[in-house]
Amino acid sequence: MRDIELRQASSTTDVDGATPIHGGTEVVPLIRAGLLKADTLVDIRGVIPRGIDGARIGAGATLAELECDPQVPAALREACKLAASPQLRNMGSVGGNLLQATRCWYWRLDWPCRLHGGDECFARDGEHREHAIIANDFCASAHPSDVAAALLALDATLRTNRRELPIADLYRLPTEDDRRTTTLESGELILELNVPEPEGSVYLKAMERKRWAFPMVGVAAARSSGVTRVALAGVAPIPWLLQGGLDQATPLPRNAYKLDVAKTLVQRAETALNGG
Amino acid sequence: MPEVNVNGHAYAVHGAVGTTLAEALRDELSLTGTKVACGEGHCGACTVLVDGIPTLSCITLVHAVDGAKVTTIEGLRDHPMVYSFVRADALQCGFCTPGQIISAVALVDSKAAPSTEEIRHAMAGNLCRCGAYPKIEEAIRTWQD
Repeated sequence: MRDIELRQASSTTDVDGATPIHGGTEVVPLIRAGLLKADTLVDIRGVIPRGIDGARIGAGATLAELECDPQVPAALREACKLAASPQLRNMGSVGGNLLQATRCWYWRLDWPCRLHGGDECFARDGEHREHAIIANDFCASAHPSDVAAALLALDATLRTNRRELPIADLYRLPTEDDRRTTTLESGELILELNVPEPEGSVYLKAMERKRWAFPMVGVAAARSSGVTRVALAGVAPIPWLLQGGLDQATPLPRNAYKLDVAKTLVQRAETALNGG
Repeated sequence: MPEVNVNGHAYAVHGAVGTTLAEALRDELSLTGTKVACGEGHCGACTVLVDGIPTLSCITLVHAVDGAKVTTIEGLRDHPMVYSFVRADALQCGFCTPGQIISAVALVDSKAAPSTEEIRHAMAGNLCRCGAYPKIEEAIRTWQD
């Protein structure tokens, strides 16, 4: 492994040119796999807020802390509880969870795919059972964050060291000109989440086994002022806010099953919210 | 140079940045009870306690636990959970057992008599390729017997 320098961040503006690391559950495996090239790591645990105070959640709070806090809306609590494994939930911060990379095996194996700047999506013509069924034309990777889907349904906003933004604006679909899936700039850190209290919310998740799996399909639904917002994990290259139903889906030959699962879970989530 | 307290002993660790806690424990401190199986944070074999919290040592940089208190399986030598795993025959090959016992001890520290659902939730991050799960569950259910 190449030589790496590690330093402690002295403030939230002290990260320029370095790779921020918090719980390390994403950064360390990516460095060890050679997918993330970092000369300098900056440990930001000392400068990221981590408490939970009503609607305000420090981005440094761990998923383990969120999953059992009664102040946290049900959809977010459940998404945290169903995410990853206990050890990863102990280690990983909610801010870091939002920035995790796809589990697409072509990307993880460093194939020269579109997300890596190449000119082909290998999953589209290859193995794509676990891949995207929506907005999958350019890149069929699926976004793995249960938590992001919950926050999207809950209409959360984020505060970074540079701006405030609705969580929907954190994400962008990769394009020919820009292959990134988030809008976070170099040196920008997520500091805090603001999660308004809904009238009701729920998170349902289909996985290949009962525990410790990335979402096959995750469905979050939250109702506020009588309006229900539904967001999905595992179905598009970014967390997906459902607008106009699932008719826009474009499943690939071997992942059409996901559309059936998604339709069923959306229906169940809406029924659960309506007290059915 | 990070200083880590492992099982009550203070050590200065020399590894370069990028060295994992698992590598430091095994290669530098010769505490080989902590196992590395997948090496990428999936299987839980490498689980140790960092300040009492089950943590994957194979994806934790040793420089990130500077000043922390680490407990490995060697530090639980006399814990009743070890004997409970033996009594319940809760292993076949035994490679995942140190990590299983670490997670189990953290669970019963927070709740001495967990329910089956609580056991399954807390132990979900420790995979056993021999499939000894029913016996592992039994060992945790009966550890105080």
